[in-house]
Amino acid sequence: MAALLEMESVHAGYGPRSVLHGISINVAQGGIVSLLGANGAGKTTTLRAITAGVRWSGDIRFSGRSLRRMRTEDIVRAGIAHVPEGRGILTELTVDENLKLGAHLRSDSAEVRRDYDRVFEYFPVLKERRKLSASTLSGGEQQMLAVARALLMRPRLMLLDEPSLGLAPIVVRSIFEIIRTINQADHVAILLVEQNARLALDISSDAYVLEVGSVAVSGASADLKGNDSVRRSYLGY
Amino acid sequence: MQEFMQQVVSGIAIGGIFASLALALVLIYNAMGLVNFAQGEMAMMATFIAFTLIDRGVSYWIAFPATLLIAFAGGVAIQRVVIRPVERAPVLTLVIVTLGLAALVNGMAGFIYGYLPRAFPSPFPVVTVNVLGVFVSYRDLGVIAVSGVVLLAIYLLLQRTTIGLTMRAAAHHPEASRLLGVNVSWMLALGWGLASAVGAVSGIMAAPILFLEPNMMQTVIIYAFAAAVLGGVDSPLGAVIGGLIVGVTVNLAGAYIPFVGGDLQLAVALAIIITVLVLKPNGLFGRPSVRRV
Repeated sequence: MAALLEMESVHAGYGPRSVLHGISINVAQGGIVSLLGANGAGKTTTLRAITAGVRWSGDIRFSGRSLRRMRTEDIVRAGIAHVPEGRGILTELTVDENLKLGAHLRSDSAEVRRDYDRVFEYFPVLKERRKLSASTLSGGEQQMLAVARALLMRPRLMLLDEPSLGLAPIVVRSIFEIIRTINQADHVAILLVEQNARLALDISSDAYVLEVGSVAVSGASADLKGNDSVRRSYLGY
Repeated sequence: MQEFMQQVVSGIAIGGIFASLALALVLIYNAMGLVNFAQGEMAMMATFIAFTLIDRGVSYWIAFPATLLIAFAGGVAIQRVVIRPVERAPVLTLVIVTLGLAALVNGMAGFIYGYLPRAFPSPFPVVTVNVLGVFVSYRDLGVIAVSGVVLLAIYLLLQRTTIGLTMRAAAHHPEASRLLGVNVSWMLALGWGLASAVGAVSGIMAAPILFLEPNMMQTVIIYAFAAAVLGGVDSPLGAVIGGLIVGVTVNLAGAYIPFVGGDLQLAVALAIIITVLVLKPNGLFGRPSVRRV
């Protein structure tokens, strides 16, 4: 079976600075894949390439269809939710309005209401803060809002850029649990960029390690976790 | 006291005119971080279109919404054709483009309609009515009612509808909005359309007072700038309240400060702009601009 997302020798960069030097990555239907590597290895750029946030060459296909020359909003409408670096919270708006923007393209209002109920079940704090400006949320709450909003988009693939960044360990654990739940309950595939390699390898089935814009190692997460040399040289623990 | 109240009411009426044009400025400021210097001229052109319709025998209350629709379409078209190609250009380029647009629209109006001031009909009689002991003209009441309805409609559109929500999102956070599937470029065009329609309201309300000619809005836009700056140039609510304050202040200054009279009212508006910029650059309702370094 073809993968949901296929990246084939993708090159990308910002102006004259090239960041990705021909990487190939697959994400299976309903799978969780983590993308590891040091700062500046090109993890964020990989995600940005998928949603047309950066110019790229090579090929990126989403359920068999090439994303070449598609605009960001159309890629998103095709079923990819991207929680970007910095979470992409619209701080001028309220929590509720942020969530509404997640569901604004959907017309299945009964399903949307059910998804709202689920979101508030996962993240009760968002229900309490519904009417408040999103700028008043703490970092962890903003991350919850970002994931909740992505869930309301009913995507087939979620791109998560460092969901653990700057958060307390206990908050990270609960967010990762919910990411796993979303993956299993909705069969949403997830491409996860993480600094916290141990966490990422625990949750994902496959992993890629990036090193200065190329895939250095890839394989099943369990194998990477067990491989001492990989662990020491790339994962730092 | 009674005369004072009458001055306040007619100040609120012209304030409604300033508020509409100021709101138009704010809508576009939010969408592209820049004041549209052609806003007044676009409003003037729309007023000429209303004039033409009424002149051909169309009833006022059909010509009015029809003009708003035409102004809306015109605003969208201008954004698509003139602004979009330079969207990513430096601010100064955009300033020059909107100034050029102002000159172009002004010249076109002069070419088509000439520079003779024309009387513009008002559906409200100039006779006065006694409201709680204050004599106010139907025209002032009418202007207040029309501006009030239009501003309320814009508020409901922006705050209570999904399209309004996506417009606000696109204006404040274009990148994040794209990632939520918002067609940002199209939302900016809608913003221009909406601004153009609101501006047209101010033109149509101002024309019976000022007489219609191509330079009609050039003083009104200064008052609208003062209103927008006073309210906070990124705040729609601020624009409305700023418009009312400027309208009442200018009217009272004209009536009670001997040397201001009718001639120096514009100077009062400029004084407001300068005072606000010096003392409270973000205006009454604007959010302080914070830049992360």
